[in-house]
Amino acid sequence: MKTIVEAKRMKKIYGGKGNVFTALDEIDLTVREGEFVGIMGPSGAGKSTLLNVLATIDTPTSGDVVIDGTSIINMKEEQLSAFRRDKLGFIFQDYNLLDTLTVKENILLPLALAKMNVAELERRVAIVADKFAIGSILEKYPYQISGGQKQRTAAARAIVAKPSLILADEPTGALDSKSATDLLESLKDLSEQDQATILTVTHDAFAASYCGRVLFIKDGKLFTELVKGKGTRKEFFNKVLDVLAALGGGASDVI
Amino acid sequence: MTLFSVTRKNIQGNFKNYLIYFLSMIFSVVIYYTFVSLQYSEEIQKSIQSWETMRSIFVQASIMLILFVTVFILYSNAFFTKKRKKEVGLYSLLGVRKKTIGKMLFYENLIMGAIAVLIGVLLGTLLSKLFTMMLLKLLSSTINVSFSISFEAVLNTLIVFSIIILFTSIQANRLIYRFKLIELFHAEQEGEQVAKASVGAAAGSIILIAFSYWIVFHPITEQQLVQLSLVLFGIVAGTYLLFRSLIVYLLRASQKNKSRYYRGMNLIGTTQLIYRFKGNARTLTMISLLSSVTLCAISVGYGGYYNIEKTARNWSPFSYSYISKNEVFDHQADQIILEDKEHPVQGKLDISVIQVNGDISDLEYVPYGYAAKSVPTRLIAVSTYNQIAKVLNREENLRLSGNEAAAIRPWQDNTFSDYVGHTITLKLSEENHSIKFVKMFEERVLGWVSPDIYVVVSDRLYTDIAKQVKPFVYQAYKVKNEKSTIETAKKLEKLLAKDTELSTFYTMYTKELESSGIDIFLLGFLGLVFLAATGSIIYFKQLNEAYSDQERYQILRKIGVSKREVLTTLSKQTLFVFLLPLVVGILHCTIILKAIFGVNLAEKTIMIPIFMVMAAYVIIYLGYYVLTVKSSNNIVNK
Repeated sequence: MKTIVEAKRMKKIYGGKGNVFTALDEIDLTVREGEFVGIMGPSGAGKSTLLNVLATIDTPTSGDVVIDGTSIINMKEEQLSAFRRDKLGFIFQDYNLLDTLTVKENILLPLALAKMNVAELERRVAIVADKFAIGSILEKYPYQISGGQKQRTAAARAIVAKPSLILADEPTGALDSKSATDLLESLKDLSEQDQATILTVTHDAFAASYCGRVLFIKDGKLFTELVKGKGTRKEFFNKVLDVLAALGGGASDVI
Repeated sequence: MTLFSVTRKNIQGNFKNYLIYFLSMIFSVVIYYTFVSLQYSEEIQKSIQSWETMRSIFVQASIMLILFVTVFILYSNAFFTKKRKKEVGLYSLLGVRKKTIGKMLFYENLIMGAIAVLIGVLLGTLLSKLFTMMLLKLLSSTINVSFSISFEAVLNTLIVFSIIILFTSIQANRLIYRFKLIELFHAEQEGEQVAKASVGAAAGSIILIAFSYWIVFHPITEQQLVQLSLVLFGIVAGTYLLFRSLIVYLLRASQKNKSRYYRGMNLIGTTQLIYRFKGNARTLTMISLLSSVTLCAISVGYGGYYNIEKTARNWSPFSYSYISKNEVFDHQADQIILEDKEHPVQGKLDISVIQVNGDISDLEYVPYGYAAKSVPTRLIAVSTYNQIAKVLNREENLRLSGNEAAAIRPWQDNTFSDYVGHTITLKLSEENHSIKFVKMFEERVLGWVSPDIYVVVSDRLYTDIAKQVKPFVYQAYKVKNEKSTIETAKKLEKLLAKDTELSTFYTMYTKELESSGIDIFLLGFLGLVFLAATGSIIYFKQLNEAYSDQERYQILRKIGVSKREVLTTLSKQTLFVFLLPLVVGILHCTIILKAIFGVNLAEKTIMIPIFMVMAAYVIIYLGYYVLTVKSSNNIVNK
């Protein structure tokens, strides 16, 4: 199976003289096509930095990052923007929907930016809207819909352009448990049926239990890795909790 | 931590917001002080001969400035307050007493105001010298400008701004009492509903504007005031609806074209504009109306200055002309004129004129204060007219016979009507005599009198009428360099009595120069202030919006919109906001010029100054546009 993310000795150092903070300390990471990978760790472990580097929003101090066969290290701003548009999809904790656009317009935004023709664009929107069950709210504005609907809209926007990699930052962080479950089920289906590659950062062991593989990082280093394998989600959930306890992120970080 | 140190920290933290408010206060003080110190300047009083009448114009202009400065300060104060509501709410939330917060805001505003006035007066002193020099230059005065601070001007400025600043300080003090805590926290989120466009209002805007334009060209009532009010109402209401509904409607319609709308950043640009327009309708209306008034005012002023010579020549076509009373005087006057070696005589004429009463009801124009049935009408023989034309360098060889006549358009006739084909009846003691116009001249031939209906008739008719009514004779001279005949003009004025209708080109020219010089200066000054203000208001607005759009553009950047694409859409949106009021303003201005001042826009002498004024306006606007795009780009595209 194809390798989507190949990161080698990824390092990120913040600050200058005398006041240096190492957010990522030579992390290696490989994600294959169709994988649903979770990244966990206590606050300040470097999860968000890792995600930002993969999202090409932040640049690593050293190391190499290859996404879908292209190294993103030496790209110019213009190229990076095009790269994000064509290869990446994003889901954020606070949805990041544009409040001036309708749900439909929000979803089709990446396609419009890619200048796709209208017929194909409408077809794609209809498919993803169906997948996330938001067909009935397409003409509404973000302030008129619930948090769960907003996050499903954001997810629809993330996958509509069929990106190589979908990055999610605490996607269930602001959702109630019912909405969270709906979203996670959808993401799992996406990776299993459509071979979508998803990488999510989360604090929530419940959310992590939907992943096929969970990476734990601490102090910028890879701590351990759990693979779901053949076991049930319940068993996997308990394993995740065990590792979190060992990681010692504090009780507040575990749900 | 004392209240004072909190305030100080506050200012440091919010430096940018404070700076913008502070600068607009200084700007207002500088403008006002500069203007008022001109009013009290002795140099200017010395250079203007009719200072007493000019003074009242200055006072009126300064009242306009006060109004304007007040609005401008209140506007920037509102902008500043809006940015700070959250901060004020936070103090309250943290348990600072309302009374303390109010006191803090009050003193803060007061102190800023006081410093702004101080800086403003200092800068204004420098600027007022510059403007005094400019004004004196326009008046062709040679007086040297000294460097001085006018005590009265300072006092005047202090009083005006104390009132304004005290008012805004009290408003700042009331802020904490006026709003609920929750409202203070949501200040920046309020009032951004998605605009809906009503077809009725959109159509209404077109109808209102078209209607008022139509009235301008097809008067529906005799009463000027009613007419003017109708036009003004139509334009103001129409413009408001244009920005509030028509533009939104058109943008909404453009969304229907999916293949264009769903393409690249069009999606963002269009929705952003729709989202913004409704909320900004009032500001944009105000700006386009202000622009059109400013443009009109400067155009008229500049047009006047540009055409001084032409105007003076119409008042007094000859260098000197007067009605001959007796030979002694004529001889003395002739001596005076011949003695002036610097201004050699190029031509001298005895112009014989007959004055009779005429019925001119067939013409559109009726001189003010006369009934069309009986207006004093002056006749000139065609041979005399041809002599005049020769001396005044007008190429004309006019031939008239029988009852044919030629009209010379009266100076105050703004009807643009052609007299050719119309007849007037001369009332003579024996019988009435009708004459028919076959020719029409736009340029006048003798000094202005009221009413000034001059008619050229055939030599035969002239001699016939001269038998019934005794003609009188004008002595008319054309000399070289007639603009500088100050001494001769003064001597002639001394010599000749009032009823000789003495008219000298020099007097008319300097009078015109003075009044148009002041006109253009005042209008230019006010225009500049208005221009700076409208530009600044759009600048503030756009900056404000850039702050609230920051997050939106960040999302777009994450989705994969490049910095360049953000800059492009930003430039387009800003262009829309700048260009629209400007275009509407220029359009209105053109119509107003036509309506109020009866300006014939096809005329080249008027077109050139108006075009220059508009070009200057557009260029300054362009500067504001570039500045705005740059600043907004710095905010959203960090």
